[in-house]
Amino acid sequence: MTPEVIVQLFVNTLIALFSLIVFFISYRVSKYFHSSATTPLQYRLEKESYLATTLTKYLFAIKIPLFLFFIFSLEKLATLLPGAMCATGVVNATVYGPYLLLIKLLNLYLFAYWLVLNSVDLKDVNLPYTPMKFKLLLVFISLLLVEIVLESVMYFSVDMKSIVDCCGVVFSSSDGSYMAWLIGAPFWMQLTLFLLTFVVLFIAYVREYYHIYALFSLLFLVVALITLIGVFGTYIYELPTHHCPFCMLSIEYGHIGYLLYTLLFVGTFFGILLTLIDFEVKRKQRYRNISMLAISSYTLIVLAYPLLYFIKHGVLL
Amino acid sequence: MNLQLLSYVLRYLERGYVKNLSLFIVLTLLTTLLAAAFFITDSMRFELQKIVDETPDIIVQKTRGGMRTTLDESLVNEMLEIPGIASAKGRIWGYYYFQKADVYFSLVGVDIYEQEHRNAIISLLQKSELEVGTMYVGEGVKRVLAENYYEDYFNFITPNLEKKRVYIAGVFTSATNLESNEMIVMQKEQLREIFGFQENEVTDIVIDVANPSELPTIALKLTQNYPNFNIVTKEDVSLSYAALFNYKNGIFLALFIIAFFTYFIIVYEKLSGLSSADKREIAILKALGWRVEDILHAKLYEALIISFGAYILGIFIAFGYVYIADAPLLKEVFLGHSGLKPEFELLLVFDMQTLFMLFIFIVPVYVLATLIPAWRIAITEVEEVMR
Amino acid sequence: MIAIKSLTKKFGNKFLFENYTESFQEGELIIIKGKSGSGKSTLLSLIAGLTKPTSGEIVVDSQQISKLPEHFCSAFRRDNIGIIFQKYNLIESLSVRENILLPLVPLGLQESLMQEQAKKVMQQFEIEHKADELVKKLSGGEQQRVAIARAHVADPKIILADEPTANLDEKLVLSFINILRKMKSQNKTIIVATHDSRFFNLDFVDRIVDFDS
Repeated sequence: MTPEVIVQLFVNTLIALFSLIVFFISYRVSKYFHSSATTPLQYRLEKESYLATTLTKYLFAIKIPLFLFFIFSLEKLATLLPGAMCATGVVNATVYGPYLLLIKLLNLYLFAYWLVLNSVDLKDVNLPYTPMKFKLLLVFISLLLVEIVLESVMYFSVDMKSIVDCCGVVFSSSDGSYMAWLIGAPFWMQLTLFLLTFVVLFIAYVREYYHIYALFSLLFLVVALITLIGVFGTYIYELPTHHCPFCMLSIEYGHIGYLLYTLLFVGTFFGILLTLIDFEVKRKQRYRNISMLAISSYTLIVLAYPLLYFIKHGVLL
Repeated sequence: MNLQLLSYVLRYLERGYVKNLSLFIVLTLLTTLLAAAFFITDSMRFELQKIVDETPDIIVQKTRGGMRTTLDESLVNEMLEIPGIASAKGRIWGYYYFQKADVYFSLVGVDIYEQEHRNAIISLLQKSELEVGTMYVGEGVKRVLAENYYEDYFNFITPNLEKKRVYIAGVFTSATNLESNEMIVMQKEQLREIFGFQENEVTDIVIDVANPSELPTIALKLTQNYPNFNIVTKEDVSLSYAALFNYKNGIFLALFIIAFFTYFIIVYEKLSGLSSADKREIAILKALGWRVEDILHAKLYEALIISFGAYILGIFIAFGYVYIADAPLLKEVFLGHSGLKPEFELLLVFDMQTLFMLFIFIVPVYVLATLIPAWRIAITEVEEVMR
Repeated sequence: MIAIKSLTKKFGNKFLFENYTESFQEGELIIIKGKSGSGKSTLLSLIAGLTKPTSGEIVVDSQQISKLPEHFCSAFRRDNIGIIFQKYNLIESLSVRENILLPLVPLGLQESLMQEQAKKVMQQFEIEHKADELVKKLSGGEQQRVAIARAHVADPKIILADEPTANLDEKLVLSFINILRKMKSQNKTIIVATHDSRFFNLDFVDRIVDFDS
């Protein structure tokens, strides 16, 4: 029960409380809202929707530093848990860890999506997306609450005395799990898959096939994460057995992890967004460009590592 | 970032600063308190980490009836046969109760031919010859002895009620203040006499391994070979210190959170009630075409300025309090030492994570407290203004 | 320019006006004549979008402002309507310049642009020499000119004035009428709600709407 954990639990409680407020407002709005109505109820709902929107914007704004802080406190916890040498150990210390990480990421995407949807909605006098917006918010807030509960449960169930596996064990290719199979796949296979996905994405970008672009953005996210752990990570660490998604965040590797993950998440987010909302042309272009720029940068950086290694050592790992 | 809006908010705060001043001051105080607590524990943690770094890789202890007892030094030879062990030696150390002053001294026996772990002792041995019949004492010990009229020597009383006079050869200091203050260093054989140990008796055996990554395996081997002994690794020591800290920190934090919840509610209440001049100003702004969104932005800027200002100011004051004034009052709360109070100076430790954590605690929480009141203000009806 | 159709406004159970229909052309200067409580101030509120009607609609510059969501409505008011209030509604602790620029603050414009705009209207209404003076130190007439300047800073198409000369002395009333004459020459749609008879016989007024009936 480190101070970091306590601070998080405290802030989470506050967030949960305010999320409930948003939830109730969303419920009311999705039930009673008619944009063309002129009743006092309608005006009241309009005002309440401002509160919900503002709170949601705030929740998202706070989620990002909190997510970073979450990673930090995992790292700090790693020094307390026997056997854990980085955050991976902590994540796997409980059965909830991996799910918590996934749901946190998912929520970041969902809330970002909601904010974009909201800004598009407010640009139109008819508020076309408002009912949908609030129905979605009901779902997203529920997921946020699940995340908070899960996080608290995880923190409480960490056993300080039992030994945890460190990333070397978790991601080792000798394990019989699917994860191990994926990560243990040969270098060329992973590289090809990765490049193929990127190429399709690039073609979709150039030809403006938005739906394919969105689909492959999602695919790229998955492929990139797998190859990052399975292949590219090992070149960052220059160790063929070091498959860890967290260690690359630390100072020994120049904090490159932060850049990579940011590019990856931002790029794929804007890509997927293209199919979810019907934007006006200029905005669509802009997002498409941002997405491709981020994804390309990610690809370049991630390919640079094995390339530089090869140049330096003449062989691959 | 709307600069015009920012300057409006700054001007607004300037014009009506009194109302927000009390909130600001309390927030600053809370920040200072929390920051000071964290700075103190960060420093202490840093100190303890240095001590832990100097602990041997493995400590072998023996217990009897649940109580610590001595070991046979000849076991060292046996242990050296285990592959991976670089060195092993028996240590003699312990506590001596000085009845008159009601304090415990910590006594450490050294042998110039054996390897030492603690840097303070290493440098001590480099600088001087520790002759039999003399000892080096820490500053705190010197003070206590002097208070009891022992200026140049001290008479230890062995378990056989024999008097052993040991002369004080000098006073030492070390990089870490926490432990050395209450320490007395003398020849190992001398200490053996004082404690009344037999010839092969030692307090514990310490082991260093050649390759740190093999440590768990070797520790395991030792546990298997000597199931009746306590095998304590460096990691265990580190963990237990860390746990102790987090426990103390945790309690403090819990109390703090209660205080903060109260503050939260106060902020909420206070900001919900607007003076009529404020109400009028908001109504005028809305009449001029400011949207609810704009007013909320202004209130957000306001909250950010106040909380960020309180955060920065609180940190500065805490810095001064902890590292310049040496944290009177609060330091004792955290040290909780028995016996001699180490007069150790808190060393400057700069931890980005601690500052980040403080930020997360102070700024977003304050802003959250202002959100609903700000919204209520922003949606007020404008009709009366036209009259 | 401003089209009012079957406008009804109720306060509690009392009808302030019912099924009112009227239209105002661009560039017209209209006087709305009526005693206090006749509903003329409320009509201005409705046109400005400061309040919503009980039923009926108002179309201003082809925008159905009675149906607009709040943020659109406020933005519309900010960009297209300048209001001169009965009690001026200036912020006393701010300077003349700061008061005049208030409507533009949320726009996040460049400093130079803002200052240019302020200077223009301050010169136009002869208050530039007091630009950095706090409003509370100004005389009644000067405050009046600040209020008028503020209403013009966004260069709106419509100016609404609610009882602008109530409680003013003769000299200030005449000065306002002069300013009104100058405003008329800028082709803005101006609506003045007043019961001051000095407005009823002016030669540059296009129309008088009688609310007492």
